[in-house]
Amino acid sequence: MTTPPQMRDLANRLVAYEAAVSKASEPVEFAAPRVYQKLRMRLSALAGVAGFQALAFRALAQAKADAPSLWSVEVAADGSLKGLGELEPPVDIDNDSAGEGGVVLIGRLLELLLMFLGEVLTLNLISDLWPDAALDDRISGKGKKA
Amino acid sequence: MSAHDKVTINKLPTGVPGLDEIVGGGLPEFSFNIIAGAPGSGKTTLAHQFVFANATPERPALYFTVLGESAIKMLRYQQQYTFFDPVKLPRAIRFINLSQVVLEKDLGAVLEEITKEVEKASPAVVVVDSFRTMVRKPQSDVDLQSFIQRLALFLVSWQATTFLIGEYAEDELRDNPIFTVADGLFWLRQTAERNSIVRKLQIIKMRGQASVPGLHTFRITNAGLQAFSRTFGLVGHRNAQPSQRRLLFGIPALDEMLGGGVPEGDSVLVAGSSGTGKSVMATQFIAEGIRQGEPGIVAVFEERPQAYAERAASLGLDLDAPQKDGKLAILYLRPLDLSVDETMHSILDAVQKIGAKRLVIDSLAGFEMALSPGFRADFRESLYRMIFALTGIGVTILSTVEVDESFTEFPFSTYSISFLCDDIIRLRYVCIDAQLRKIMVVIKMRGGNHAKDIREYEITPTGVVILGKRLTDFQGLISGIPVHSDRPDRGEEPSHDSEIEK
Repeated sequence: MTTPPQMRDLANRLVAYEAAVSKASEPVEFAAPRVYQKLRMRLSALAGVAGFQALAFRALAQAKADAPSLWSVEVAADGSLKGLGELEPPVDIDNDSAGEGGVVLIGRLLELLLMFLGEVLTLNLISDLWPDAALDDRISGKGKKA
Repeated sequence: MSAHDKVTINKLPTGVPGLDEIVGGGLPEFSFNIIAGAPGSGKTTLAHQFVFANATPERPALYFTVLGESAIKMLRYQQQYTFFDPVKLPRAIRFINLSQVVLEKDLGAVLEEITKEVEKASPAVVVVDSFRTMVRKPQSDVDLQSFIQRLALFLVSWQATTFLIGEYAEDELRDNPIFTVADGLFWLRQTAERNSIVRKLQIIKMRGQASVPGLHTFRITNAGLQAFSRTFGLVGHRNAQPSQRRLLFGIPALDEMLGGGVPEGDSVLVAGSSGTGKSVMATQFIAEGIRQGEPGIVAVFEERPQAYAERAASLGLDLDAPQKDGKLAILYLRPLDLSVDETMHSILDAVQKIGAKRLVIDSLAGFEMALSPGFRADFRESLYRMIFALTGIGVTILSTVEVDESFTEFPFSTYSISFLCDDIIRLRYVCIDAQLRKIMVVIKMRGGNHAKDIREYEITPTGVVILGKRLTDFQGLISGIPVHSDRPDRGEEPSHDSEIEK
C-alpha cells in the first residue's frame, strides 16, 4: 500500500511551505520534522497525547514500508519523533532521503486523519495550522479548499 | 422593583428540536448545566447540538474531552449527524483533550488548564465531556465540590454557558453536592421495555425559568436528538374560541341524527366491531370536510396511505387530488416504538402545515399497537392529553375503535376512554330475520341534542347509507338479538331529546 498521491502531495506542499518560511540557513530536511511537530501539537490537543501517539505509531509503521530511510525513526511516548531529520539512512536507497521519508510519514498521518475525520475536517485543521499557505488544491473533487 | 429593573436573561437555542419549549424557551445564557445519564443515552449528542447551534468564530465553543471517547472517534461519529457543520471546526468549535492532565495531575491542574484555554478563547460555550471520569479519582467530596464551584464561578464570570456531561445512575441523584451547584440539570434515560427502547428526558432543575415538568420522550435520529414535550409544544397557544359550527359527516341521515353535524372542536368516537364500517364513515367524514373546504388529516396505523386512498376511491371518494392540493395529509405513522408524543408531533406538524380542521385517527387499536410497550401503559392518559391539546386548538377529531361484539353488554370502547369523547356513535351487528344486519345509534353528544333513534344502515359502493326510519318493529336491538315487537309503528314519536322536552 502506498500513500495516496493527494496526501503525499499535500505533505510535500506543507514541507515545502515550512522550508520556504524558515530561516535560510536551516536545511530543507528540517522542515518535515517541523510540520510533524505542528501536527503533533494540534492533534495532541485534540485527541490527547496518547491519542496522537497511537496515530503517529500507525502512520510510521505504514510509512516505513514506503520509505526505508525511516527504519530508525521511533515515536516517543509524547508522540514526538526520534530520529527524523537527524540521521542519514544507513543504506543508499534510490529516490529516498531523510526529507522524503518525512514527507511520506506526514502523508501517512494525513491519510489517517482523512480516514477518521473526513476531508472537510482534515483540511480545516490543516488550513488552521497553516493559514497563509497557498494550499488551494483539493484532496478530491468534492472537498473544500485547504 | 418594576419589571424593567430586573436583569434580562437571554435564552439560547438548545439546537434540539422541541427542547427549547421544554426548558422554558431556551437555555439561560451563562448558566452552568449538567447533562447526566447512562452511557448511550445521548448526552454527548445533546451537547454537540447545543454547541453547533451557538458557537461562532467570534465566540467559539471549547469542548474539553477527558477520559472516555477520544475526540477523533467522537468527531468521526458525530459528523454523521445532519446538524454537524464541519465548517465550524476548528475556528468556532475547538476540541481540547485534558486526559493527560487528569491522569497525571490533580483537579487544581485541570482547573488551571481549563482556565488557560478559556482566557485564551473567551468562549461562549464550554463543554466538559465527561467530567465524571475526571472526578472518579479518589478525592474528598469537599475537594470535588470546591472544584465544581470554582469552575462554575470562573466560567460564569467569563460569560460562558457551560455543560458538564457525566454518567450517572438514577440512585446518584439524591444528595449529590455537584447537582447543587448546577443551574440546570438534564437527566437522560434509556430503558428497555420488552423489545423496545424508550428514551426520556427530564429537566430536574432549571434556575431562573419555568421548564415543563415531567418526563418527555425523545428520539435520536440522523438529525440528532428530537424532544417531544408532554405539552406537545402547545404551551402559550391560545385555545380556540368555542364554536357553534357543525361539521357535516356527509351522511345526511346521520347528520340529522347528530342534530346538524358534529360540533366543531369535538372529539368523536365511532365504535363498532370488525366490518361495521368505522373506517368507511371516517373516510366519508374526511371527504366531506374536503368538500366543505375544511382541510383534514388521516392518521393511519394499519395500512399505507396509498392503500387507504385506494379504498376511498372504491367508494367514489377522491383522496388523491386533495393530497396533491395540500388539503389532506394521510399520515402513516411508523409502527413500533412510537410514543404518543411523537405521534402528536407528526400530527401537529401536519395540522399546522395544511391548517387542518378535521383529524381522523383510524384506529385507536392500531395506534396502541404502534406504541412501544412502555407507552401502552399510559395510553389512556396520553390520549387524554392528545385529545385535549388538539380539540383545544379547534381541531375536530374522529377516532375509530374496535369493540368486541357481545350479546350481553354494549360497550363503547375497550379503553375506557368514552369519557374523553364528546360524541359517541356506536355501530353493531344485529341478527334480524336470519340476516346479520347493522345498526347505528348516537350514544351521546356532549354539546347538544341528538337523536335517540337506532337506525339500520348498509355499506354500499358509495359508503355508509342509513336505511329508512328507526327500527320500531324490534325490541332489544342493542342486545344484537332483537325480537319482533307487537307494537304498531310509532314513527311519529320524537326523535331528538329536545323534542321530548317540548
